[in-house]
Amino acid sequence: MAIGSSRLIAAAATMGRRLVILAAASLVAFAVLHAMPGDPVETALLGWGLPRTEEAIAFLRREWGLDRSWVAQYGLWLERLVSGDWGRSIRTGRPLLDEFGDALPISLVMGCGGLVIGLVMALPLGFFAARHPGGVIDQVTRSLSVISQSVPLFCMALGAIWLFAAELRLIRPFTEPPFERLLLPTLLIALYTVPRFSRVYRRELLLATTSLYCKFALAKGLSPRAMLWRHAHPVASAAMLAAVVSECGWVIGGTATAEVVFSLPGISLFVVQSVGVRDYFVLQFYVVIMAAWMLAIGQAADAARAWLDPRTDSGTGP
Amino acid sequence: MTAARIVMVATIAAVLALGSVWQPFDPEAIDIAAALAPPGAEHWLGTDHLGRDILSRILVGGWRTLTVLAAVAAISFALGAMIGTSAALVGGGVAELLMRLAEFLAIMPSLVVALVITAIIGFTPATAGLALAIGHAGPFALMAYGLARRTVTEPYVEAARRLHIGRPRLVLRHILPNCWPTLAAYVAADLGRNVVGYAALAFLGLGGAISAPDWGSMLYEYRSHLFDSPGLMFWPGAAIAVTATVLNLALDPTVADTDDPV
Repeated sequence: MAIGSSRLIAAAATMGRRLVILAAASLVAFAVLHAMPGDPVETALLGWGLPRTEEAIAFLRREWGLDRSWVAQYGLWLERLVSGDWGRSIRTGRPLLDEFGDALPISLVMGCGGLVIGLVMALPLGFFAARHPGGVIDQVTRSLSVISQSVPLFCMALGAIWLFAAELRLIRPFTEPPFERLLLPTLLIALYTVPRFSRVYRRELLLATTSLYCKFALAKGLSPRAMLWRHAHPVASAAMLAAVVSECGWVIGGTATAEVVFSLPGISLFVVQSVGVRDYFVLQFYVVIMAAWMLAIGQAADAARAWLDPRTDSGTGP
Repeated sequence: MTAARIVMVATIAAVLALGSVWQPFDPEAIDIAAALAPPGAEHWLGTDHLGRDILSRILVGGWRTLTVLAAVAAISFALGAMIGTSAALVGGGVAELLMRLAEFLAIMPSLVVALVITAIIGFTPATAGLALAIGHAGPFALMAYGLARRTVTEPYVEAARRLHIGRPRLVLRHILPNCWPTLAAYVAADLGRNVVGYAALAFLGLGGAISAPDWGSMLYEYRSHLFDSPGLMFWPGAAIAVTATVLNLALDPTVADTDDPV
């Protein structure tokens, strides 16, 4: 398949735009610390239980480059960001790179696991909901969609713990080894992504059936089911990528309440606790990590979309 | 909006507003002797582990939620209208910069953005409303910008420009009247999700919110009684779920997506 040069240029422009957003993210992240009330040096000394001597303050100010100009500080910060010298957490005293290194896998397993399970379940559900509009599966996914947008994740999580741990005594959510502790939150995230994916997929399938090529497929004698699968499905799954991309941000960054309920030391819980003690260095790196994650997802989605549906122009995602 | 939807929204607003004028007990009054009382004639919904009247706390929580919703709606609308129309009018590099900023905000988890803001400026219904509005501002500003841009290129706006009508008047009289119904629908559709967002903020409770009678912070407090008196969590949980469901069904057509494309 030949790729037109205009499409290549558009893809390059999208990538350039993403890099600009990433640069903006690093600038915003950097500016965040300076816009915050309270001196980071004072916060750190308080957090580490060190005496507030002139010497200690002067040392930390020089160590973190706070005595230099803004431009020099930004340069210094970028250098530290790239070299991996991220400093220490005010709350725990451990290097931030290690803290993020420990927390990120937990959030990723929980979030991506939930996402994948959700996607796998959503495809057949959405397909049969589109095959029989108004049928049982259609009604069930529609109700689930209303519930998932109205009942907060942490309410559902507390309900699930009550049911499975307190009433049925099937699990011990706080004492099991890590894998089993991750099981319930992962399934809960899947429960929240299933209705979103299945409804979008169903909608896109139905939208595709109004097109000429689907009507033609029916006219040449294909069964409605084969038409849906062979002709509507590829287009619908390409359109569904946008929903997957928007869920990707939520499953990593939006699950703070689930991490609190299940006391899972993921990235969101770490950021919440750090914000609680005004450790804004953590926030700076979190912003960059999230931006890089979302932009990488956007880039991957563009590639996948071009592969699934060659008609689409690249560069529509965030 | 059909009559049924108007009735739904008016009813839920009236119930939420009730907490501002009437509570059977002081929601903060601790009475250890009456702790964990079952629902009865005196305490209609019973009392919590500190003997506080649950009905009063739910009602006050409802009023606080309504305040948040009003703040979110007003601030989102003003922010969206301001950023969208000014970016569309000025155009060029400024618009480009504003929209990149909006895209950046859009990819940040809105809960974390709101959380940081309440951690800095404190946690009250008004500040939480501001924080949630800013957390959701990214996609909203992008939408408002697209809307305003379409309006700016209309012939009647061009005509008004040629007549040398000043920018404030141009925005207020010629551009906004064409944008605000869509903006308002968008803000309204988001209200149900803001009930959930406020509950999550209060649940995480940074900035000194933990003992306040918010539905979210009640759940945070009561969850330690999950194994001995799980019934405590029922009322705040139900209050959040019912309020959000009613608002979502009444104001957001995409939630139940009943309008089929075929």
